[in-house]
Amino acid sequence: MFEYAFMQNALAVSVLISLVCPLIGIFLVLRRYSMIGDALSHASLAGVAVGLLLDVNPILSAFALTTLFGVLIEALRRRFRQYGELILVIILALSVGIAITIMSAGLVHANVESFLFGSLLTVSRSDVWAVLALCVVSLLMVVLLYPQLVLLIFDEDGARIAGVPSRLINYAFAVLVAAMISVAIRIVGILVISSLIALPVAAALQCRQGFRRTMALSVLFSFIDLIGGLFLSYWIDAAPGGVTAILSVVVLLAVIWLQDRRGRPAERR
Amino acid sequence: MISLENVSFAYENGPYLLRHLSMKVEDGEYLSIVGENGSGKSTLVRLMLGLLAPTEGRIVNTFRRAGYVPQRFDTLNRAFPITVNEVLNCQRRVLRIPDKGAVRRVLEQMHVYDLKDRLMGGLSGGQCQKVLIARALLGEPDLLIFDEPSTGIDVKSQLELYPFIKALNEERGVTIITVEHNLRFAVKNSTAMYHVTGGHGHFCSPEEYIREYVSDNMGRNGHV
Repeated sequence: MFEYAFMQNALAVSVLISLVCPLIGIFLVLRRYSMIGDALSHASLAGVAVGLLLDVNPILSAFALTTLFGVLIEALRRRFRQYGELILVIILALSVGIAITIMSAGLVHANVESFLFGSLLTVSRSDVWAVLALCVVSLLMVVLLYPQLVLLIFDEDGARIAGVPSRLINYAFAVLVAAMISVAIRIVGILVISSLIALPVAAALQCRQGFRRTMALSVLFSFIDLIGGLFLSYWIDAAPGGVTAILSVVVLLAVIWLQDRRGRPAERR
Repeated sequence: MISLENVSFAYENGPYLLRHLSMKVEDGEYLSIVGENGSGKSTLVRLMLGLLAPTEGRIVNTFRRAGYVPQRFDTLNRAFPITVNEVLNCQRRVLRIPDKGAVRRVLEQMHVYDLKDRLMGGLSGGQCQKVLIARALLGEPDLLIFDEPSTGIDVKSQLELYPFIKALNEERGVTIITVEHNLRFAVKNSTAMYHVTGGHGHFCSPEEYIREYVSDNMGRNGHV
């Protein structure tokens, strides 16, 4: 199957996504911000629509608009301190509104469905380069900001006392989340991105390890979900987004089952 | 030295929690902040740490580095997947301490080096307290602020903890500020006490504090 150029592109992008998504997703999940990932994935739909309208690479336009919305969420968070979920409703309304308006007005003539469900066939060579560039920048940011991000989420007061510039890091984190979503939309699709953000991390958390090991396990589970999803979707000729989402739930349940089996003898003692 | 000059604080659209506080904590002091629950003690400490900005007035802090020991896990996420070593190493990197041995030294100082690979969420109250103190000691702070250090730890740990804090103060000259519920330890250890009540505050000697405010309650609970 890898004699086809589109499968080579899809594989390259899948490997990159499986590395980047859990590395950023773990911070999102531990901050209990998983739903922000969902809201921003809808923002990326508006970005794709704008990209197709302006004839620029839709991954890069999705990154630009998702970053903008991510920064907007951070800015609104101060205003809606008591009703945080309202921010997500505002972002959803604005982003889906933009996307539907552009698409329903017949202004774009491309296969938007592939961005909603994910697609193997439509991953172009320029998409691979765009994803690679975003992945390299994201990984560099995670490596450089690692202690600040970990401390900020573990103990925000302690981090601020130690001199972590919390607002600046929060904005940088919004950019990271935007990058993660933008790289993932090609393969997994906008509708199931949140499963890719949260489920490998949820599976890794079941193993009750330290931060670095949890991160490594998240990458492993994400790799299994994505590469498995890629092969299965090729064989059954379905959109990879759906297959990957189902597989990530199966992997999570398998890990929970295995952990339960391991835990039982200890409980009896 | 930390000085508060006519400081008042209120959250946005909220009532004033502290009003017209003026106080000074000199280098080398051991100050216990005492008062009823909800009197504004924790708000005062958050202002001193720079976590809150005063609504009115001015705070001047000349300490080089402040270490903070929160009330165990009250502000921490217990389910967070992180080991003791990872917490301290992140702290070390944020503080830009290049010497990796610093983490080992503070853990050994608190006699918890053997816990370095344990998850934070799996520690007992006393163990967690020691690890958080070890974290606060990184970078050799000249000011240490404790939020109710005796809360949630057993008597044996309390009896070990206070002499250690006192030694930091007397032998190393570290300025200590504690929010204190345990009057016995406050009276025994501190060089000054600051009583916060109803958003106002004033200094008093331990003896004055006991005479003026808690003499009626002597013997009613085990803390005095």
